[in-house]
Amino acid sequence: MRIQESMSMYEKLNILTDAAKYDVACTSSGTARKGDGTGMGSCEQSGICHSFSADGRCISLLKILFTNECIYDCKYCINRRSNDVVRTSFTPDEVCTLTMEFYRRNYIEGLFLSSGILISPDYTMELIYASLYKLRKECNFQGYIHVKAIPGANQELIQQVGFLADRMSVNLELPTAESLRLLAPHKTRKNILTPMRLVQNRMTENKEELAVYRSAPRFVPAGQSTQMIIGATPETDYQIIQVAESLYQRFELKRVFYSAFVHVNEDKALPKRTDEGPPLLREHRLYQADWLLRYYHFQAAELLSEENPNFNVMLDPKCNWALKHLEQFPVEINRADYKLLLRVPGLGYKSAVRIVKARRLGVLDFSDLKKMGVVLKRAMYFITCSGKMMYPTKLEEDYITRNLLDVKEKLPEEIRNMGYRQLSLFDDVRFAGSFTGKAGGAV
Amino acid sequence: MKTMYVCNDTITGIFSAVYDAWKTKKSEDECGIAIQGMLERELFCEYCRTEESEKKAQAVENLIKKHLGRRVYWDLYHAALSEDREKGDAILGTMLAARRIPDSRRIMEHLSHPKVEKVFKLSRNVGGEAHSYKGFLRFRELVNGVLYSEITPRNQVLTCLAPHFADRLPLENWMIYDKTHRMFAVHEAGKKWILVLNEEPEQSFAAQISERELEYARLWKSFCRTIAIESRTNPRCQLGHLPLRYRGDMLEMSDVL
Ligand code: SF4
Repeated sequence: MRIQESMSMYEKLNILTDAAKYDVACTSSGTARKGDGTGMGSCEQSGICHSFSADGRCISLLKILFTNECIYDCKYCINRRSNDVVRTSFTPDEVCTLTMEFYRRNYIEGLFLSSGILISPDYTMELIYASLYKLRKECNFQGYIHVKAIPGANQELIQQVGFLADRMSVNLELPTAESLRLLAPHKTRKNILTPMRLVQNRMTENKEELAVYRSAPRFVPAGQSTQMIIGATPETDYQIIQVAESLYQRFELKRVFYSAFVHVNEDKALPKRTDEGPPLLREHRLYQADWLLRYYHFQAAELLSEENPNFNVMLDPKCNWALKHLEQFPVEINRADYKLLLRVPGLGYKSAVRIVKARRLGVLDFSDLKKMGVVLKRAMYFITCSGKMMYPTKLEEDYITRNLLDVKEKLPEEIRNMGYRQLSLFDDVRFAGSFTGKAGGAV
Repeated sequence: MKTMYVCNDTITGIFSAVYDAWKTKKSEDECGIAIQGMLERELFCEYCRTEESEKKAQAVENLIKKHLGRRVYWDLYHAALSEDREKGDAILGTMLAARRIPDSRRIMEHLSHPKVEKVFKLSRNVGGEAHSYKGFLRFRELVNGVLYSEITPRNQVLTCLAPHFADRLPLENWMIYDKTHRMFAVHEAGKKWILVLNEEPEQSFAAQISERELEYARLWKSFCRTIAIESRTNPRCQLGHLPLRYRGDMLEMSDVL
């Protein structure tokens, strides 16, 4: 292992940023906090983006590793023990100074601190604690902090860190225990789920404490999240969203992030490298499905099944579902209950709320829907207003599918702009002999 | 004949014009507000210069807050900061319309009324720009320790930004200069911020960048470069989120240190 002693701050920051960049989450949302006038910092509920990097991702937090040294050897990770890369570590003082100086220039909303595992999980967690303690208690920093809980670290220590952070996350890394065994031999599912459960329980207790003493210290107020790598292992979309669903239900996670696998290492346990790049469309479909789980009252088993375990490349998960359930349509806008409105393609949850409010004041027709932000090009096959459809259409799967495909789906630019990849079937696991893409990460 | 009240492009100016128009108890078709410098003369209109005063503006603020509520005030206030030349008219029109509905506090739900819709759009636009600047604004440290920033907003967002930064950086001396509207927000450590109108920055500010500042600028630029994942490179997506008009004042988007 190469460890360089006298390294400049510039070099250190470069190395420890480069090693942290595969972590997907950079959001600073979920906490609202005013400054108390004694230090520096505040938080906005919705979060604030401070810049956008060349890959189009938001830069909100100073996202760094404490160290890229690591005793583990996760096969997908750039920092794994067996890689010959330059290693370095920050000191708690350095993390603190960087955060404060970046923050006062309004470069960032706060800190996202992750880490490789230096010496042991406890040793590493202590260093993270020391950094956060200094930042919160000595510098009175009141900006946003997202921190990783290191699996296997002492529970008491993880709790202490949770009182200094806004959000905590433990990476699930891979969707199943088998994949974990295959690609992250030093990690176990149990080791990862234990701190997740701990944070969950402590958050519940903290809610009770806060109900009694309003000024009780707050534990992870912006909640807990996790991420997993998509496309490094052979799980189906169905397996993946089932995992996500159970994380939301059983661990009350705020968010599950999906990260398209990016090839950084050569390893025979990993899928073969291709020219396709990371499976971004697949990642996008999973995020769409994730929304359906969180905001649209869908269940994983409604969206996919053992027989049909992967999302359609051509259609978003909601359209796909609707086409398979035409017996539930058309839906009458002026009468259908809120949950049914949510299931109409082209109709978002905000428009659904607007519809429910507005129809109390009068009967709605298609022009009203348009004003409320309903995408009629997609919704028109599935709705009636006062019993009438917008145009005469057939309620028939093939017919609607053809028409929906003619309406270009508004894919996010990061996928749309990839041109050839937009509707490439190779993004769909059903057509890919080997799996495309890959991601690294820390912890 | 319709009377147009002409006022300065400030909150005090616009609210004073509202005061004058309101007092006459005229209907929407009989009065309006035009902003000095953005005036397009119409036929069959009488133009009448508003005598602006803090007292009139305060009275209008109180009137709105009391009868329409704080949330509507928020929208009207933001609309008044807009670059749109018909903003005064939209504000007055919305207030007059609020008078005619049973629950004036719900006026912003009446989006089918063109003036209300206009206020809604303007407020959203100004609020959006202010929100963007909360993130995109950059401070540079001068040798005397003062944090200095320059922005080029379309709307007059300084009064939206100053409270945010005063809360966030209470122990710092900082200054934000709005190049478009030539005004400053100035904050002295531990005190309240103030707005300074019609001032130019001293030429020498740029020359007063500290050594330490250059060091952090270098670190930040390098951070922004390194954090991107090459295999996901996507300048058009970046452009969609971070339009060119903000970039001129952003350290990491320029070549200078
Ligand atoms: S994923 Fe984390 S634990 Fe695994 S090798 Fe990378 S830094 Fe170490």
